[in-house]
Parts: sequence; structure tokens; C-alpha cells
Amino acid sequence: MRATHLLRTLRQPLAHWRLAALLALGGVVVASASCSKVASLELAVPGTEQPANFPAMVYNLAKNPPSAAAFELGKALFYDKRLSHDGTVSCGSCHQVAAAFAQPGFRFSPGVGGRPGARNAPALQNLRWRRSFMADGGVLGLELQALAPLTDAHEMSMPLADALARLNADTNYQQHFAAVYGPGKIDTPQFLRALAQFTASLTSANSRYDKYVRHEAGGEFTAQEVSGLAVFKAKCGGCHATDLFTDESFRNNGLDRTFARDSGRAHITSWPTDRGRFRVPSLRNVAATGPYMHDGRFATLAQVLAHYNHGVQPSATLDPLLRQPDGQLGITLTAQEQAGLLTFLNTLTDQAFLTDNRLGPPH
Amino acid sequence: MKKYLLLPFLLVVFGAAGVLNSCKKDADSQPTVGTVSLELANMVGTQPLALDGTAYSTASGETFTVSTLKYYISNITFAKADGSTYAAPGEYHLIDASKSASTNFTVSKVPTGDYTGVSFVVGVDSTTTKGDPLALSGDLNPANAMYWAWATGHIFLKLEGTVTSASPNKALVCHIGGYRQPYSALVTAAPSFKGSTLQVRSGTTPKIRLSADVLKIFDGPTRFTLSSFPTTMMPSAASVQVAQNYAAGMFAVAGVQAN
Repeated sequence: MRATHLLRTLRQPLAHWRLAALLALGGVVVASASCSKVASLELAVPGTEQPANFPAMVYNLAKNPPSAAAFELGKALFYDKRLSHDGTVSCGSCHQVAAAFAQPGFRFSPGVGGRPGARNAPALQNLRWRRSFMADGGVLGLELQALAPLTDAHEMSMPLADALARLNADTNYQQHFAAVYGPGKIDTPQFLRALAQFTASLTSANSRYDKYVRHEAGGEFTAQEVSGLAVFKAKCGGCHATDLFTDESFRNNGLDRTFARDSGRAHITSWPTDRGRFRVPSLRNVAATGPYMHDGRFATLAQVLAHYNHGVQPSATLDPLLRQPDGQLGITLTAQEQAGLLTFLNTLTDQAFLTDNRLGPPH
Repeated sequence: MKKYLLLPFLLVVFGAAGVLNSCKKDADSQPTVGTVSLELANMVGTQPLALDGTAYSTASGETFTVSTLKYYISNITFAKADGSTYAAPGEYHLIDASKSASTNFTVSKVPTGDYTGVSFVVGVDSTTTKGDPLALSGDLNPANAMYWAWATGHIFLKLEGTVTSASPNKALVCHIGGYRQPYSALVTAAPSFKGSTLQVRSGTTPKIRLSADVLKIFDGPTRFTLSSFPTTMMPSAASVQVAQNYAAGMFAVAGVQAN
């Protein structure tokens, strides 16, 4: 079929241009494929596909094309405690696969010397769809994100130069980096690129909810889950939008009246209008990522719903969606609605992701 | 058939040749250019800066030592008497008082001519500081400890030491950065040539000798006493005042040499 079509095309007078463009394009595709070897290795790296129900990916895969070798290198770095000042904390200490890479049981995860961090360790998932990072949006790229916990005195407390020196002094890393990025010193770009190979791969898109919306096997919802989803869309979807369950905005959800301890987005922008605003988190795997809120103040999802129902505090920057026309604050949720919401939120748990051995600590 | 196949082939070949050719043409059409050398002498008033615990005095008699002085010079622009300017692209230089090699650098491909002024950003523009992290190498490398990991951006100027006249001694911690309003600390310094002319010719390397006076960080449009000098580690109203101080008076042209 194709060959006949090509012949027919060739016989048409103005077709040379199209063919020339096609040939040139073919050349480019062949050249780029042979450079990066994406085609052959992509399948070995988890989470490289675009889930059908997700918005378009933000991260430019072409800048850091997934490869199995780079993914394994990134995973080794993610789980390496030697990247902390005293060798006691790795990225994986506070970001555990079974909790969608949050840390269960800790409001503030302990960093080096047991020092507690300033905010609750967030889940790490679907980072390729994020424009900015951290609860205050201060970090503007997935690669750069790793620098914050690495260098923070309450987390890994490791100056970047020292981390690079440790890697350069390690024969295994020397060989591993050389195999992926070519010979030479391990420097910032290679280090950040490798770590991002792992963090970018953490894709959760196979919860029962995903199967339900994609009409796949295993995507059956009970009547209560269906009604819970309807309540969710009506009352929560204004912020927890799209199938990523966040609109990526920064909002004050009424936790406090003052923000002396943590001003949130204002810490980055310095604008008083940003005080108390924090990133709307994704709710994927939410049943596994407690405790909740930027400071982990709520241990259970029931407490979170109770907050929205009757705990919202007034302040100048409180989100307008939490001010009802009659002046009442929060989101009115009947007991039945709360029960429905809880059953629905449990459908966002992606067991295949939480138990993916490829993402867990290397043995 | 043959001629139909040949045509696209030729188009591709000539297309590629065209790209190569246009590159060559660009190089040919460059005006004659020269190289300018810049040299910075870090000072405290009239004394050369030493990081060895030497105590220095401010005009009001407070004393302090310096352990770290680092700052970025970028976006270097040369101006002619007729008001025309040449902005040198891609120049980002980290001056580190502990590394003497960092206090000398050259700017190449400056169009030949007689220049009567220079200006530069003390810091790193927002486009570059927020840009592709995989391109952050050399002087812009976050490993140089001139980078805020929590807010994606370079620290523009870092001064650390001890206020020894304070009792007890007070740490001097001054990290200036931030490219967002309301507290953008991106400032431009334009030290005067004081009537000298920088003669850029092909084949010679004229030099601008600059001095950088630490005292002017505290003293300019805003006068700080060291006892009340704020510890700055994030953008703030005070950090903007400090940036305006060093933009106004820290840099002075000590001399312009022909070669």
C-alpha cells in the first residue's frame, strides 16, 4: 500500500517538495534516534508513556531522554545515603515507594542528625506534569528540585560541591556515569540529569479510578464511589482539577489565620497577597500519603474533610472558593457526602505503583 | 523516474549546504573585533581585602573581618561617546576574593572603536538564572555555592565575616539575590572612566582596572551601621537597599590601559 502510494506521489508534479521534506525529516529522526538510543531503551524505563487521561506532559523528555542505564544510575543516587552530610539520609529515606514517595508517620521527616524538616515530605509522582516544585513553588525545574533537599541543613545538608566530590571519588559511580554520559568528571549537569531520570519516571496512572475513566478492565465503581466522584467534582474539583487532581495553583485553604511560621508562596514572591498560599497537592494515592497538609497536621482523610466542612479559618488571603455566598467559610459536606468522598478517594490508590519493585531500593 | 528522485536528493544536499554556507557568511560579515581585559582589585577603603582575619574599620569606627566575598559580573556593556553601545553576550563571571585567577577575565569579540564607558550587572539575569539547569556549568555552576536551591536562582553577592566591634561579636552574613519584584536585587553598576578612553583594536588587549570597595556595600544611598546591618539570606527590602549601595559606589575605574 505504502509503496504504491509513494509511486503515485512521485508522479504528481508538485510532490517533490513534500518528498524532500519527508526525506529530510527521516534523516533527522534517524540521526536523533541513533544519538540517544531512546527507541530501544525506552521500554525498560518505567513511566515513559503519556497516560490517555492525563493532560499534556510539561517535562521535555528530549532534553533528558529516558534510558535504562541512566534510570538505574538515578535510582542508585536516589537511594544513596552517602549523599547526605553524615551518611544517614538518602532521598529514599523520606520518600518511600509504598507511600507514593511520601513518608508515613512523620509530620516532619528527620534529616541529618535527626533534625526535623520545615514541611511535610510530599509524595513524588507524575513530576513530568509539574511546572514548579515544592509547596511554595520556589523551584522551577525537575532537575533543580533535587538541589533543595540535598543542600538544606535540615535534610541532607550536603553542599553540591561535596556531593560531586564524593561521586567523583567513587569508582562505581565513575564507571556508571562514564557509561551513561561519556568520560570526564561528574559535574552538576550529569548529576542532576541522572537523578531526574529516576524522579521523572515515578508515574502513577493505573489506579482503579484511571481504569474507570479509561473504561478498562478492573475499573468498576460501586454506587457509593460513583456518587463520591460526583460530590468530588462538584465540591473539590475547582482546585483538585484534571486527572492529576491539582490545578497546580497556590491557594490558602484556611488552615490558619496568621502565617508567621510558614508564609508559603509569599516566602518566594514576597507579596503579602501570597501569604498562607500553598500548592494544591495532587490527590493521587492520597490514602497512602498521610499525614496531610504542608505541615502534616491532619493524620487522616476524615480530619481533612472535617477541616473543609467546619474548620476553615478566615484571613485576608483565604481562597475565594472557600467563601460561600452567604459568608459561611469552607465547603458544606453532609456525613453521607463525606463517606462517599472517602470511598472515592480510595479509588485513587494505584497499587501497581506503590508496589513497583523497579522503583524500590536496590538490593 | 530518475529525475524525480534526483530532485529531492538535490534539495536536501543544497539545503544542508545552505545552512553551512550561511554560517560561514555570518563569520565573514563580523566587523573587526578586539579583546578587552578586566581586572578587579577587591578593597576595603584604601586597603586590599585579605580574608585572613585582618580587621577593617568603617568610617564610623566599627570593625569587622571578612571571610568570604564573591559576586557575579555579567551583561557587560561598552558605551561610545556618541551614545552607541555594545552588549557582550554570554559573559558571566564569578569573582571570588579567595581565588586570584577569578579577578581577571577577558571579553572577546568587542567591535573595534573608542569606548568611553562600561556598565555591568552585579548578578545574573533572570532568564539565565532560571534557564536550563543542564547548562549551568563553569562560573554559573550551582556547585559554586552561589545558588539558592529553594528559590531557583543565583546569589548575586555574598559577603561573610564577623563584626568584631559588636559585643559579643556578630556574624556578618550578607547574601544578596532575587530577580522578582518587589525585591529584585538585579542592579547595574556603571563606574566612570573619568575621561579615559578604552581603545579597542584588533591585535591588542586593552585593560580596565576596577576596584571593588567592600565598605560601599554598607554605605551608599542607604547608610547601615554594622551593629544593625541586617543578616540577609533571602530577598527583602533591606537586600534591595544593599544592592543599590553596591551598584552606586562599590566599583570604581582605577585605570584604563591601552595594552
